[in-house]
Amino acid sequence: MMSKYLKFILPVIIPLIILALPASSFGIDGLTMVEQRVIAIFVMAALCWVLEPIPIYATSLLIIVLELLIISDKGLWFTKVTSPDLGNLLSHQTIMATFASPIIMLFLGGFFLALAATKYRLDINLARVLLKPFGENPKYVMLGLMIITAIFSMFMSNTATTAMMLSILTPVIALFARDDLGKVAFALSVPVAANIGGVATPIGTPPNAVALKYLVDENNITFGGWMAFGVPFVVVMLLIAWLLLNSLFPAKIKRIKLDIKGQFLKTPKAIIVYVTFIVTILLWLMGGLHGMNSYVIALIPVAVFSMFKIITKEDLKKISWDILWLVSGGIALGVALDKSGLAKNAIDAIPFSSFHPLLLMVGASLLCIIMANFMSNTATANLLLPLVAALGASMHDVLPFGGEVALILAVTFAASLGMSLPVSTPPNALAYASGQIETKQMAKVGIILGIVGLLITFAMLYILNQIAFI
Amino acid sequence: MENINIICVDDEREVLDSVVRDLDELSELFNIEECESAIECLELLEELDANQEYVAVLISDHVMPEKTGVELLTEVELDPRFLGTKKLLLTGLATQADTIRAINNAKLDNFLEKVWDPAELLQTVKELLTEFIVERGIEYDAYIEKLDAPTLYRLLK
Repeated sequence: MMSKYLKFILPVIIPLIILALPASSFGIDGLTMVEQRVIAIFVMAALCWVLEPIPIYATSLLIIVLELLIISDKGLWFTKVTSPDLGNLLSHQTIMATFASPIIMLFLGGFFLALAATKYRLDINLARVLLKPFGENPKYVMLGLMIITAIFSMFMSNTATTAMMLSILTPVIALFARDDLGKVAFALSVPVAANIGGVATPIGTPPNAVALKYLVDENNITFGGWMAFGVPFVVVMLLIAWLLLNSLFPAKIKRIKLDIKGQFLKTPKAIIVYVTFIVTILLWLMGGLHGMNSYVIALIPVAVFSMFKIITKEDLKKISWDILWLVSGGIALGVALDKSGLAKNAIDAIPFSSFHPLLLMVGASLLCIIMANFMSNTATANLLLPLVAALGASMHDVLPFGGEVALILAVTFAASLGMSLPVSTPPNALAYASGQIETKQMAKVGIILGIVGLLITFAMLYILNQIAFI
Repeated sequence: MENINIICVDDEREVLDSVVRDLDELSELFNIEECESAIECLELLEELDANQEYVAVLISDHVMPEKTGVELLTEVELDPRFLGTKKLLLTGLATQADTIRAINNAKLDNFLEKVWDPAELLQTVKELLTEFIVERGIEYDAYIEKLDAPTLYRLLK
């Protein structure tokens, strides 16, 4: 009976114990009070994200509010009593600004594009046109479905893309014979492609946004720069996933026909949507030519769609604010670790330099993919990336292998590759709900693709390092 | 302002005329379309959809040649492009089996029997319009004088 309450008790008790311990018991020299509080917040966040006593976005909000209360310059009076070991209090503005960090604005822009695409049926009409050349052979129809799902999930949420593609697919899956494994392949192809596709752009999936927070200054990666390696990675992974699904679950049915009704909308508003979409993506890809960075460009569709009433105030309510808050909390956690000085102190205290840097990179990626299989990809990235970034910055040994950037990218990609269980990602949960897939079938495909994906990630980083991209 | 349509389907011209006459008060703000068969209605729906116009209310007779009203309404119910379109069956000749199918498959929003009371028809359509506009997130301010106030208050609460 007790175990039922543990998930509520542990996230409260353990951080309190950490706060009560003497500073000397952490094995970090000169640990300040603020740093000790940051450890407590970090542990609380980790426990809340793993055990989920409260919704995962609520954990993010809790992080921000606790930071404001106990480690900010405008926090509770007794947390600010001056003493030699108090440490650096963070500015409350810096903590609050995580709600409106450029990364959040980039995502907001992505949300506006996705919302308009759905509202003006750009998504479904593109799917209809793009699927046509793939004919009626089940193998190639599936390849088409996967390519389109992956392309959409680069710019729309993986969940929304999966829901849309599954709704096209469900009436077709019903036509398969009871013992035809092909329906498993089809039902799995959509979430797999959506999970993989998100890797290709900075706005494809929230872990990428979290990674951008740590890719700044000389490590900055532009939108086009990210796609230059993200897209080839996705292409290779999709091909492998397609071959794998076809060999594991071959379809017996000879022909398959997807029937999507409708036509492209030709109203002025619809045309504004098409043009804005194309212009935004082109500006993102042209990076350096016009002097605007991807964050600035992301706000252009926000303004245009609002001006022309393409996104109305009712539509604004449909934006996934929870995702934005979830990412904000991760950024705030990173800010606290960094600005308090804890990240650097802690990394210095652990003898990482005695490990081989490659072992570190592989170990961190494996830990990330394992965590991402059991919990939210975004929460995993929120927890691991600040640590990994601090580790990368302090360890000069990783330099010959691509340095900090390689370490961050390896962990970020690993977060998206956790897809072996229905609980791993929302697309998996949606596909599982179709009732066509057994958990062990999903696990088989997910584990193989996870391992293969990590190997390809390492190969990609090796190549990028060889050509001096990172 | 958005183009919001009310479609009336009946194979008898006189009936169609009188439905349209009863709804005349709404024609200032909404388009009232007339169709003499289910097929004609489906063609009109395609055209309206391509122009991104809304179909708020679909009023259909049941007994018609080629395709019955219940078949038409079921088809519209299953088409994701017309999510939220309010469906009203206006007929005097539906058997119990027809009615059951209409409710279960077409998810009918209202059922009126011929001969109808003009005031009741108008009131019903106003309520359905209000529901459609609020549910679809259309800015209601411009239409407020023709909407049903109690329904509006209930939905905005």
